[in-house]
Amino acid sequence: MVTREDVENIALLSKLFVPEEELDGLTQSMQEIIDFADTINNAPTSGEAFDNINNLSNVFREDEVVESYSSEEILKNAPEQAENHFLVRNRE
Amino acid sequence: MGSIEKIHEMLTTKQCSCAELTKSYLKEIEKSNGELNAYVNVTGDEALKTAAIVDEKIASGEQIGMLEGVPMTLKDNLSTKGIETTCCSKILKGYKPIYNATVWDILSKQNAVMLGKTNMDEFAMGSSCETSCFGGAANPFDTGHVSGGSSGGVASAVGANIAPYGLGSDTGGSIRQPASFCGIVGLKPTYGAVSRYGLIAYASSLDQIGPITKTVEDASIVFDAISKYDDRDSTSKGNVGGDTYSKLNNDIKGSKIGIAREYIDGVRDDVKNAVLNAAKVYESLGAEIVYFDLPALKFALPVYYIIACAEASSNLGRYDGIRYGYKTSHYNGTHDMICRTRSEGFGEEVKRRILLGTYVLSAGYYDAYYKKAQNLRGTIIKAFNNAFENCDIILAPTVPMTAFETGHAVSDPIETYLTDICTVPVNIAGLPGVSIPCGFNAKGMPIGMQLIGKSFNEATILNAAYKYQQAAPENFKDTKWGVKL
Repeated sequence: MVTREDVENIALLSKLFVPEEELDGLTQSMQEIIDFADTINNAPTSGEAFDNINNLSNVFREDEVVESYSSEEILKNAPEQAENHFLVRNRE
Repeated sequence: MGSIEKIHEMLTTKQCSCAELTKSYLKEIEKSNGELNAYVNVTGDEALKTAAIVDEKIASGEQIGMLEGVPMTLKDNLSTKGIETTCCSKILKGYKPIYNATVWDILSKQNAVMLGKTNMDEFAMGSSCETSCFGGAANPFDTGHVSGGSSGGVASAVGANIAPYGLGSDTGGSIRQPASFCGIVGLKPTYGAVSRYGLIAYASSLDQIGPITKTVEDASIVFDAISKYDDRDSTSKGNVGGDTYSKLNNDIKGSKIGIAREYIDGVRDDVKNAVLNAAKVYESLGAEIVYFDLPALKFALPVYYIIACAEASSNLGRYDGIRYGYKTSHYNGTHDMICRTRSEGFGEEVKRRILLGTYVLSAGYYDAYYKKAQNLRGTIIKAFNNAFENCDIILAPTVPMTAFETGHAVSDPIETYLTDICTVPVNIAGLPGVSIPCGFNAKGMPIGMQLIGKSFNEATILNAAYKYQQAAPENFKDTKWGVKL
């Protein structure tokens, strides 16, 4: 059972605001999707634990210094920047 | 002959210059994009610059590669250095990547002529292209119908001949489903066959880049070009299965093509009949059709939505209004700033999936949903492995229905999720799948079927797709739009 409080709580965890007037609708829609997801609880649990696809696993390499991007280039996309850093103001 | 080979021949025999060809595509885009909304960003100047380089090479008598000078398009979630890449989300408007996706690195080095970036569901979350912040892309067969999603813009552009080919991404069907709706070819390669570097992530264990084309030859040529090992993608394997193009037109006599009953039950009659007719075509080509049960399939859809949303909630945590993209204008404190930025920047479907993903990962629900889904993912993989002991290829519908009318998908999320039922199992198991057209419904809208292969067996499914294309060319119908080669 998905409650209004559940939705408020996961919205906080997700860093999303849900306006009061959308809360009931969203709770209902989440409930419908969770009911749908619940169909897997009828599935027999087997020992086929999933750990990889196509035998792929992380490939490690030596930690070598290679050329990267300049901070100037990276900062081009920042909404705000100052003194070669991302700028985050406390209020606006 | 596919569009790519035709264009290559036109360029090398000097029937037209690359600049002329590019201009005719740009002209057709200008003429029809208002109605189709396939492109969200047309990069005409860059395209003409590349065309000039290719023309110079041809004029000086240099050999050109098969993809050199051939116009194309990229889905707007593939990073293009210096060119806006938005994922069709307000939150990434104005974002210009400082690096190229590996696939675009490969193709741009071969002087592929990019005409522009194409429309998609926001962050690839959707099945109709309508969650795009630019509005959806229309179906070239009937503009009152959707192009499908999420790579709807690429499929619309290729179907309407305003791009000879394009690259899309497929997390739960996003290449195959719009290809099916638009009556063209879409290949979702094996997980690991194509580098995901520079593909803006939705669900990393399911995402894969692949070609959307008019013909099977074109899909094969593009796949061979982009399937390369890349040390910037930790799950990259590259071209394990070898070249596919040279294996087209191999005899399929004696091949075993499997049909899972669960794939056929529950799809609409016109779709079912078209797929069963295709099976008859394969029989006439000497293949053997075997029926089998794949009961694990009935859990594929919830498993997919749980895993995809869980991964999305984590991947989309990076959008905070600090480093790139949209930032809210009024706030009080950093928590408020991030929440406002995300709430204003993401669309409804993206927010719904982030919330669902956070829910299934949160304490108290993790075991019942995420862990259980991962366990069932193992079961589904095993079921496919067993199935492939008795057949070489699995034949299935791509979508249980044909393209829906514009506006229909938005109203009911669960009903829309159900349209992905035939495509998601392939992503869950990391298998290759190609969708090709196999008929039309009473209204003339295309029906698609998919051929699913063992991991890294792209050559097998593309060959079988090619054989069908040769045997049933009437299902590969052109539309009224665009450049006629």
